[in-house]
Amino acid sequence: MYLEINDLSKSFGPKTVVSHMNLSVSEGTILCLLGSSGCGKTTTLQLLGGFLKADEGRILLDGEDITDMEPERRPVSTVFQSYALFPHKTVLENVIYGLKFQGMKKKEAVSRGMEYLELVGLSEYANARIQKISGGQQQRVALARALIVNPKMVLLDEPLSNLDAKLRVRIREEIRQIQKRFGMTMIFVTHDQEEAMALGDQIAIMEEGKVIQHGSPEEIYHHPNSLFVMNFLGKANKFTDQDGREVYVRPEAMRFSENGPLRGKIIKKSFLGALNQYEVDTGTFLVTVMEDSCHERNEGDLVRIQTDMSRICLFESSES
Amino acid sequence: MNRRLNKRVFPANTLFSDILGRAADWSILLFLMAALTVFIFYPLFCLSLKSILIDGRLTLQEYENLFAKNAVPLKHSLFTASLSAVFSTILGILVAMKLSVSRGKRKLFYRAILLMTMVSPPFISSLFYIQLFGRRGWITWRLLGLSINPYNKWGIIAMQSIHFTSLNALFMTGIMEKLDHRIIHAARDLGASSTAAFFQIIVPMLKPAMWGCLILSFVRSLSDFGTPAVIGGRYSTLASEIYMQLIGYAKTEKAAAMNMLLFIPAVLAFISYRFLMKQSDRMLASENGRTGGEFPIRFKGILNLFMNLGVWLFYGMMLLQYFCIFITGFLKSRKGVYSFSLEHVEKIAEFHKSSILRSVEYSFFVAIFGTLFGLLLSYYLERRKVAGKWGWDFLASLPYLLPGTCFGLGYIMAFNRGLLKLTGTAAIIVLNMAFKQLPAITKIGSASLAQIHRRLEDAARDLGAGRLSVIRDVILPNLKTAFVTGFIYNFASSMTTAGAVLFLISARHKVAVYTLFDAINSGEYGVASLISSIIIVITIAVSGGVSLLFAERDEKGSGRKRKQIGGKERVHVSGNQ
Repeated sequence: MYLEINDLSKSFGPKTVVSHMNLSVSEGTILCLLGSSGCGKTTTLQLLGGFLKADEGRILLDGEDITDMEPERRPVSTVFQSYALFPHKTVLENVIYGLKFQGMKKKEAVSRGMEYLELVGLSEYANARIQKISGGQQQRVALARALIVNPKMVLLDEPLSNLDAKLRVRIREEIRQIQKRFGMTMIFVTHDQEEAMALGDQIAIMEEGKVIQHGSPEEIYHHPNSLFVMNFLGKANKFTDQDGREVYVRPEAMRFSENGPLRGKIIKKSFLGALNQYEVDTGTFLVTVMEDSCHERNEGDLVRIQTDMSRICLFESSES
Repeated sequence: MNRRLNKRVFPANTLFSDILGRAADWSILLFLMAALTVFIFYPLFCLSLKSILIDGRLTLQEYENLFAKNAVPLKHSLFTASLSAVFSTILGILVAMKLSVSRGKRKLFYRAILLMTMVSPPFISSLFYIQLFGRRGWITWRLLGLSINPYNKWGIIAMQSIHFTSLNALFMTGIMEKLDHRIIHAARDLGASSTAAFFQIIVPMLKPAMWGCLILSFVRSLSDFGTPAVIGGRYSTLASEIYMQLIGYAKTEKAAAMNMLLFIPAVLAFISYRFLMKQSDRMLASENGRTGGEFPIRFKGILNLFMNLGVWLFYGMMLLQYFCIFITGFLKSRKGVYSFSLEHVEKIAEFHKSSILRSVEYSFFVAIFGTLFGLLLSYYLERRKVAGKWGWDFLASLPYLLPGTCFGLGYIMAFNRGLLKLTGTAAIIVLNMAFKQLPAITKIGSASLAQIHRRLEDAARDLGAGRLSVIRDVILPNLKTAFVTGFIYNFASSMTTAGAVLFLISARHKVAVYTLFDAINSGEYGVASLISSIIIVITIAVSGGVSLLFAERDEKGSGRKRKQIGGKERVHVSGNQ
């Protein structure tokens, strides 16, 4: 594998933040590191970037052990959460800062910098001060600054969390395009499961300093290996089967049907735009069902529900 | 732009530059630590040693009956310090309140007068006091025809109170600016009147800072020897007694032991001050910074009256003081009749020009090198893992809590022989000033560093910058404002400081403050006033010049906006933890 993280651990005092973590990423793909706050994902990124020293474990990138390499020598660059743009430099100066350490002449650096600004659509802001441009533009500058040094891997630490919802989606697409164009290997840290699923070739879900599931977005959405993962990525309806085992079904695997086996009454309706979300009381279970909002159903309606049995999830030991 | 670029190139000799960078980095750190050890720890060590080592024998002789022997000055010190602290804190708070509700030109005027104190020599209020209320005072003698002895404790208390009020008002204004207006809006919204909100919300929030202010004033008064020496008459305090023991009778051991009496309360006060300020910061910390705009409280009724009385009293005294000082420099008295004269100007041009120029020269030195040293130190202590960080931190802040006399005495004992013989040189004066003022500079540095997100350093390292490049490219450019503030502080303090320097001065290296002290003590009030005015004017001119110089250069940088960004990032970090 291009990047291999083996048995990586990091503690702060008595608190273990990353615990014997293993993960691998193949070249030219985006891995989304997904987890709730405090799960250790940012610490992992800082270990990869070289800003923290690992207590245990190795990090191999393109066959080279980079575990103890100083950040300035690592062929890895980071897009920081709050961008960490140099406030005393212009947009262009920020972008080309890393080039001087590669021994590039100023003139060449400037023309390369303009190329990259073009790429992120900011050439007209080259001489603007960082404070004068918007959050979305700052985000793009940070991306250009990280890409221009030709790293083997780019790390992105919740780079979209400071942007509003629309812009977040747009920049997400831009990052995806640029990544494809460069064939860049990226690790993208986020706590937003929708972002992770839309962007990642692979998703690794972290919990308490460990990767608990790693796979393609479809794989982990449809076949979560634990209730935690299932709940983290979306909603789950809980049932008990004939043998008394707890089984879980995603709401979209259930639909209203004239001759469905499950009977119930709609007790709550939420309009979500494209879909309506209904809560149905079947007497024994409380079930969530989604349906195209063009259908008109109301609270109090009696309904019957059909379940797609192939999409039922069963966990060995399920905690609630 | 495609995959072919996907090889990172580095200059060939990376290993060599790595080692070189690290070596330079370590040398800087080593230099900083060595300087702290030699110029702060060592003098204080010598001072303590001197007080217990008499004629080569270890003895506690000087400490025997230390309390009993010094009961009177000790009592005097505690008495004056308590009253000065209480008065100056109350007045300071009243002035700060007035400042926070004033706006526009009026606010600027109030502030300017306060800042004048920062650039005024410490004896100025005593000088003014003698002029107005002295044996030949304008008020007591000329106006009222009295000839009373003004040299007593009330003079000390009054003058210290006035002098400290400016500092306290500036301090409290700084605290009140941190108040989150939304909290007060919330109180008003819930039905509290303006006055109720003040007493029930603002006062409790400011309480730790008020206590801190009181304690600082108390210690400041304890270690002030200038005021009692000039207008105390026979009423001697510990600080003035130490000065007498040393300069008058050359009893260094005794002076050293007496210093310990000042040292202990100073340390205790400092510890409680730190504790209180931490509490204050916690109380005033707000997630999104204050909302700005108008101060959401209007003072009414008795509170307003009380505030205005205090403010008028204080500003009345201040204006009168500066008026007197400026005018006396150009007056001469012939048989009780004043007339305009350049007599003092000529005298200064003839005898004191060199000491004033020397002061300026020394002050520039301290302002440039002392500030750079302090900023670098604050960076290494804040951002690098330095072994024994707490200890270095404490050492670097010791000069702040020590009375100037302690520090000066320590220098005399540490640097009077051997390799480090510095007594009688200009270096000892400059070093003493620089290290005495170091704590303020490191504080300015830390405050500025807090605005420079740690991630900026990571980002630079990430892009290939070594440790030294980070300092050069990221830290120093962003500390420009801190440098200007530090420069001005260092320059003004060096121009006006009296504490330690008076002990260290030798005939060849007289500075302006020494000449001023001399002039007051020999009754040349005209000359003293003129020297004071000159010091004030020079300090204002240099401070103003330096800020303008940097402000102009920074114009395209729009420093204010930059701060906003820093603030935003800070909030983000706290949100993430």
